[in-house]
Amino acid sequence: MATREAGKKMIMLKSPDGMEFEVEEAVAMESQTIRKMIEDDCADTAILIPNINSKILSRVIEYCNKHVPTTGATGAAASDTVAPAALAEDLKIWDAEFIKVNRATRFNLIQAASYLNIKGLLDLTSQTTIDTISDNSLEEIRSFLSTKNDYLPEEEQTIRRENQWAFQ
Amino acid sequence: MNSRPATMAEAAPPPLLGGLPDEIAIWEILVRLPPKDLLRCRAVCRAWRCTTSTRDFLLTHHARQPSLPLSYVKNYGGDLFTLDIISFDHQGGAATPQTVARLRRHILIPRVSCDGLIVFWIECKAGQQLFICNPATRQYGCLPMLFGGPLSAVGMPFGAPRPVAVGMYSHSPTGEYRLLLLQKAEAPDGSSLVYTYALGSSQPPWHLHIEGPNLNELVFSRGPFLFRGSLHWCISNMIIVSDTVAESFRQMRTPVVPNLSDLFEMDGMLGMSSFDDYNDDELIVDIWMMQDYEHEVWAFKYRVEIPYAELTLQFGLFYPRDCVVFTSWVGDVAVLVPFGRWLLQLDVGGKLVASFEDSGGLIGQPYQLKQTLVQHTFFLTLEGYVVNGSPFI
Repeated sequence: MATREAGKKMIMLKSPDGMEFEVEEAVAMESQTIRKMIEDDCADTAILIPNINSKILSRVIEYCNKHVPTTGATGAAASDTVAPAALAEDLKIWDAEFIKVNRATRFNLIQAASYLNIKGLLDLTSQTTIDTISDNSLEEIRSFLSTKNDYLPEEEQTIRRENQWAFQ
Repeated sequence: MNSRPATMAEAAPPPLLGGLPDEIAIWEILVRLPPKDLLRCRAVCRAWRCTTSTRDFLLTHHARQPSLPLSYVKNYGGDLFTLDIISFDHQGGAATPQTVARLRRHILIPRVSCDGLIVFWIECKAGQQLFICNPATRQYGCLPMLFGGPLSAVGMPFGAPRPVAVGMYSHSPTGEYRLLLLQKAEAPDGSSLVYTYALGSSQPPWHLHIEGPNLNELVFSRGPFLFRGSLHWCISNMIIVSDTVAESFRQMRTPVVPNLSDLFEMDGMLGMSSFDDYNDDELIVDIWMMQDYEHEVWAFKYRVEIPYAELTLQFGLFYPRDCVVFTSWVGDVAVLVPFGRWLLQLDVGGKLVASFEDSGGLIGQPYQLKQTLVQHTFFLTLEGYVVNGSPFI
């Protein structure tokens, strides 16, 4: 990506598998973890992002690129940080596409969003799993989320009884 | 303590959620579940149940819950009451009533609420009494006799002058839930005495020395709205503010003379709605926001014109003295209007967004539910303490 404007500071992010990503500082600072590193002057050269492989890191950067507050297409007279409704709608559609990934990738994204402290990405990636728990039967939850039922049948009945209203 | 048969791998417990570290599964996934789903998921497996039952987890879970308006439906002619919360879909912003409890009692009227707790006024054999319940944990009990008799509450019929519960709050230094009680004094100036009582405490209510506003009117108000750790009551010519830590009182300016006003929160600001008088077929509600809380600077935000004549044709009777509630979700305002058997959601343009049948009886802005599954120990001290039993059905 060519530098669009002079004076835009770039940051190098490194994944543990040796890939390097050059991103605008503003984009990197969508991550509160990186923001803190930059503000504390711990980010002179490249920032190593531990535990996040290049495949996941590139998706995270893709998300941040899309969600960084825009300064307007022309860069002029757009001090509003509040996105207009159309732009918000656009982002929603983009997010819905972005999250169409398999479970392993989604779980990796959750971990990356948690470590890098990117609230929007965390909300987006965790919601699918929350919906899985909210919308499915206990059997389905166990099967979708690879969790084993270790209750005796009568124990499960007792818990169901104790929390009866939650099953209505 | 019984030990379980060692059928499961004892070496390393399996992860709560296959593929995620437990730390993330707990604090990023499970803690985000709505209370009802959280209770249900305790039946998934032992580890989920243990994890979602610790106090730390439940306190964090409670802190994440939104404060939602309550709606309250009485099965007329019967003795069945349904308590709904109105939650908002963040995608489309449409309101959805969701039942949190069904209760069977002769008369049951919510009077004071705080966090996920609601104080009800109940007509029973012994007379009128106040009960407290947590609909999420299905706990229920009778508030104790204080000052030699049952307490009264805002809007209750008065026999002999009884102390009136005008608000409830969580006192953060002690972690206690406290009731503010107002007792009309026999002093010549007729000003009220204010007491506070810690729920579950064996200590009698203690007197708060109030300097500042006269609080007599609080017994006629619609209950306090909690904002920035202070209770706010809108009375005839001002807002009374009570700091829940210092337990002090002061008065606050209103932008206009309050008229059937409600307080609410939007974008971290305090808002106030005020009815204007009727004209021929519209009802005007003005919405003000407090832009600078410290300096009490209000700004006019919206004028909502409710086409009540038109809506009456479609939905039946509208009683303007019923509540009109404003609740915010991300950056916007919803206007909830009870119309006979219907609950209508309008936008600030007065346009109908959604309608729900049999969802009348909106309780009003001061009565909100911020659901909690935290086990409060004070319940155990209450007379007639019940969990998961009558009056819950």
